[in-house]
Amino acid sequence: MPHSEHRIVPNIEHAELEIDILLNAVFRLSGYDFRLYNRSSITRRIYNRMRVSNISTITQLTNLIIHDSSFLEQILNDFSINVTEMFRNPSFFKAFRTDIIPRIKDYPEIRIWHAGCATGEEVFSMAILLEEEGLMDKAVIYATDMNEEVLKKAKNGVFSLHKMQAYTKNYQLAGGKEAFSQYYKTDQQFAYFHNDLLKNIIFAQHNLVTDQSFNEFHVIICRNVLIYFTQALQNQVHQLFYESLTVGGYLGLGDKETLRFIELMPKYIEINSTERIYQKVE
Amino acid sequence: MDKLKIGIRTKITFGYIFIIIALILSGLYLNNEIRDLQDERNQIINYDSQILTLSNNIEKYLLEMQAGKRGYIITGDDRYLERYYQASQSWESDYHTLYPLLRHNPQQQEKLSIIKKTIDNWILNSGDPVIEMKRNGDEEALEEHFLRDPGRTDIALMEQQFEEFRILENEAISNKTEELDNRNNTVSALLSVFLIVIALIAITMATAVSSSIINTTRNVTNSIRKIGASEGDYGERIKVTTNDEIKDLVVATNDLLDNMENREWLQTNLASLLTKAQGVSSINKLSELFLSEITKSTGSAYGAFYVAARNTESTEYVKKASFSGSGQEIGRESFKLGEGIIGQAALDGEVFHTTNVPENYRFIQTGLGVTQPKSILIVPVKFENGVIAVIELASLDDFSPLEIELVENIVESLGLTINSILDRMEIVRLLNESRAMTEELQAQSEELQTQSEELQSQSEELQMQTEELTIINEQLEERTKDAEAKSAELEKAKKELEATAEQLLINSNYKSEFLANMSHELRTPLNSILILSEMLSENGSSNLNEEQVEFAKVINSSGQDLLSLINDILDLSKVEAGKLEILFGEVNMNELPHLMEQTFLPIANNKGLEFNIKKSDNVDDLFYTDEKRFNQILKNLLSNAFKFTEQGSVTLDITKLPAQQLTNDMQESSNDWIQVSVIDTGIGIPKEKHQLIFESFQQADGATVRKYGGTGLGLSISKEFSKLLGGWITLESEEGKGSTFTLVLPSLPNGLSEECLQSLNQELTRALHEEIAATQEIDELPAPAEEPVSKDLNDSELNETLEKIPMLEECDIFEGKNILIVDDDNRNIFSLKTILEHNGINVLVAKQGQECLDILQSNKDVDLVLMDIMMPVMDGYEAMTRIRHDLKMTDLPIIAITAKAMKTDREKCIQAGASDYISKPIDLEQLFSVLRVWLVTQGSMS
Repeated sequence: MPHSEHRIVPNIEHAELEIDILLNAVFRLSGYDFRLYNRSSITRRIYNRMRVSNISTITQLTNLIIHDSSFLEQILNDFSINVTEMFRNPSFFKAFRTDIIPRIKDYPEIRIWHAGCATGEEVFSMAILLEEEGLMDKAVIYATDMNEEVLKKAKNGVFSLHKMQAYTKNYQLAGGKEAFSQYYKTDQQFAYFHNDLLKNIIFAQHNLVTDQSFNEFHVIICRNVLIYFTQALQNQVHQLFYESLTVGGYLGLGDKETLRFIELMPKYIEINSTERIYQKVE
Repeated sequence: MDKLKIGIRTKITFGYIFIIIALILSGLYLNNEIRDLQDERNQIINYDSQILTLSNNIEKYLLEMQAGKRGYIITGDDRYLERYYQASQSWESDYHTLYPLLRHNPQQQEKLSIIKKTIDNWILNSGDPVIEMKRNGDEEALEEHFLRDPGRTDIALMEQQFEEFRILENEAISNKTEELDNRNNTVSALLSVFLIVIALIAITMATAVSSSIINTTRNVTNSIRKIGASEGDYGERIKVTTNDEIKDLVVATNDLLDNMENREWLQTNLASLLTKAQGVSSINKLSELFLSEITKSTGSAYGAFYVAARNTESTEYVKKASFSGSGQEIGRESFKLGEGIIGQAALDGEVFHTTNVPENYRFIQTGLGVTQPKSILIVPVKFENGVIAVIELASLDDFSPLEIELVENIVESLGLTINSILDRMEIVRLLNESRAMTEELQAQSEELQTQSEELQSQSEELQMQTEELTIINEQLEERTKDAEAKSAELEKAKKELEATAEQLLINSNYKSEFLANMSHELRTPLNSILILSEMLSENGSSNLNEEQVEFAKVINSSGQDLLSLINDILDLSKVEAGKLEILFGEVNMNELPHLMEQTFLPIANNKGLEFNIKKSDNVDDLFYTDEKRFNQILKNLLSNAFKFTEQGSVTLDITKLPAQQLTNDMQESSNDWIQVSVIDTGIGIPKEKHQLIFESFQQADGATVRKYGGTGLGLSISKEFSKLLGGWITLESEEGKGSTFTLVLPSLPNGLSEECLQSLNQELTRALHEEIAATQEIDELPAPAEEPVSKDLNDSELNETLEKIPMLEECDIFEGKNILIVDDDNRNIFSLKTILEHNGINVLVAKQGQECLDILQSNKDVDLVLMDIMMPVMDGYEAMTRIRHDLKMTDLPIIAITAKAMKTDREKCIQAGASDYISKPIDLEQLFSVLRVWLVTQGSMS
């Protein structure tokens, strides 16, 4: 802006500009597009990185990202929030068991898409649930995330021993039918989930922002992913989900997410409003 | 409309008047007719009597004259003459009276005149001349006259004529009377006819009037009924052709219907608009909907909808929708309160309607041209004393009062609708905001969790580092503090160490001597066995049967095995005792293949195996090592290879290691290294056993021992030898595919360096310590880690310490934990207790629920409870409930042990307070998995 030398631009505008540049740089360098992500979250992650790595301006960080590939990886890692638990919000899984399973159990094949599966805790939970409902053999779970590193972790099915007490409680609250310990072995640090659970899970890299629909599913689970997106991007991703669902297919969202303000809401009905389970009806 | 109005009263009155008049007229007419008849009859009666009297008089007067004449003639008295003349005169007069009377009857007049002639004739012939004759006294004439008497015939004629006259006159009278009778009859008939006609007219009129009234009434009734039945369709109108009070009624009714239709139109439009407005959630949609409806209803060509902007200081009305027939965007975007006509209307809150459109007013563009609107309607929409919106409409026609009323009516409820939509939009906006904030919070909490996990791992790392530093510090401190003491102790320790080392050497010597002695002592009888058994097997005296010879052979070969085992043990013990002498010298590598071939070809042929020996050209002829040990290693490896290979081949491959493969460490000891590989296609060794087989007395598994025999010492001896020669042995193998043992050795013309020897010795000493400790259970020996105390802490030591920390942690999960087993079955308790104790766990036992509670109450150190559910007296459920509720031990992990069949009981377990459950029969791996989960120190879970 050459004509505005004398104008005092508030810092916040600077920051916006700097973040725009940073996100553009990240997109150009990595193909990961965070430009439509919830700006406040992205901003916090950037400032957090700056604090941890002792960087004073966003531009400096951008500079590092451009010239040091390890920083690019670092910031990508920072942007990708992989908070998850096994049977996270157990009531969701309980509702899935009681409300959705009876409706889909007679399908000849059940295709489930777990979008944004992170380190796979919920995918394994779903696999256990399907196993207990006797549906594992005809179900295929497509577990996707944009972050290949977390997918690698997910494929291992190895989770920290420290979290297993909480997961056991979640499993019980989610209506687990067996002893949770049937599904894993432990050593001093980790719990290793049985490979049998993996047999019908396909892990694949998929970016909700930039990639297209790749199949038609009976169930799509995407929990606590959309909270990082702006409303516009949420609409875009919901369009993708809508295109990827069969008529009569089910969409499960996170407990703080809702279809209520999404343009496609009229094409869905609520199956369980508190657990955010919706059915595509047209 | 301009038809003359005739009321029902008029119709009825007119009818009656008509009848009365008709009656009066006919009465008058009849009266007149009757009077005429009467007059006529009177006239006839008078006339008749007059004529009769006169005719009689004439006849009488004539007779008088005759009588007078006769009297005079006879008497000649003049008195008679006088009578005569008098009668002659009367006759004349009566005749002249009668004659005109008969003017209507010429026949009678004729007759009368004939009678007169007759009379005149008598007078002329027999009257006057006779009187004259008498007077003249002419008696003769008289006599003659009387003789002839002409008068007599005249009189008779006259009498006859009178008779005829009278008959005729009577006939005429009777004719007239008959005529009168006829007329009388006619009048009677007329009277009847009149009455009938009047009656008919009266009936017709009554019918006409009544039917005109009844039909119209019926029409009206029907129309009203139809309207009633059509339920609210007020389009129907009553039609009437009469112009009377019913028409008034109809007109009034039609007016009422018009009114109702207008109401209905208003209500319908209003209701439809309000209904449509109900589902609308955005003010723009409402505005558009409203405008399109209202312009349709009012036939407006142009419309704009302005809504007051909220939250602004000066009230501003912003255009939310516009409508124009041509579809283009029209109307100004916004206006302020009081600005222009529209602003004024908003300020006043009054409807503004004009047909006097200002000159500069917007022209309405249609498809064909441009016209100016004829009338404008501006309606403010009020809500709670304020104008919430303003609507402007323009029309090419006039707005009818009804249309204006519609707009006004709609506007009345529109205010509330707009307000509620604005409120709803505000609510939706707020909801959306709150949703965004909820999502934001969730995102933040996840971010925080990630951060806290990052921090946690950082802090764990820090903690670890701190811990290390603390340890190091402590050690340093201790060292500084105890520096003097240490140095003093150092001497002592040194001496002690020396003593210990000596002791060790002595011990080792003892062991070696013991072993050597043992070997010797063993060998002596063994030799006897070998020799004697061999002798027996040769069966020199031929007194043994085949079976016995076979036994002898088995004894001999077993003895050989035993011998080689003893030799191996001896070798090993020598190595361990450091007693094995290594003599480095020249080895001719050219001879090596031949030597090996000589030894192993027979075995290869025997087993049907291929034996290949390869030696690359770059291997130097001369190689410096201990030839005896070198050969021993190769023989060990090769005999192993042949032992475990059933088919295929065994290959010996000797190559020189290229310089670039040598590491710095390797170069330090020698620049000339060879690599000897023994490759077989045998059973192979599973990966996890690779390390194991180099240890003493180990083979891949028990089954191998049974099948192939051997002590398993060969490889460990080879390994030890290779170390003594400055090299090592590596193994590559895959189960079922064969193995490759590779011996890597340096050429050492001067033998091993001092350093190498020292470290070797140290290692050996340490190994010895461990072995001695293990065999003699002497714990008091100083731990090896504490030995190199005098040196400064260096990096490698630090690393070692670091590595030890997680290792210690690893061992710690079970170590020292207290587990309470609650079970009533002694066998279960025993097996569980044994297994758990074996893993370093302290086990407490309760045989029933109450005991469990007692233990928990008195012993707060219990880390976990293994609870059997099926127990007498107090079962597991109750015990768990009591633990949670009565003892308030909510965090104590309780693992319930349930019977496999009782799946529903799991829920009961969880409800009763179990943390987890496993099924009987207990799978040990599962048990330990669960125990690890519930005994591990809880990390950073929220």
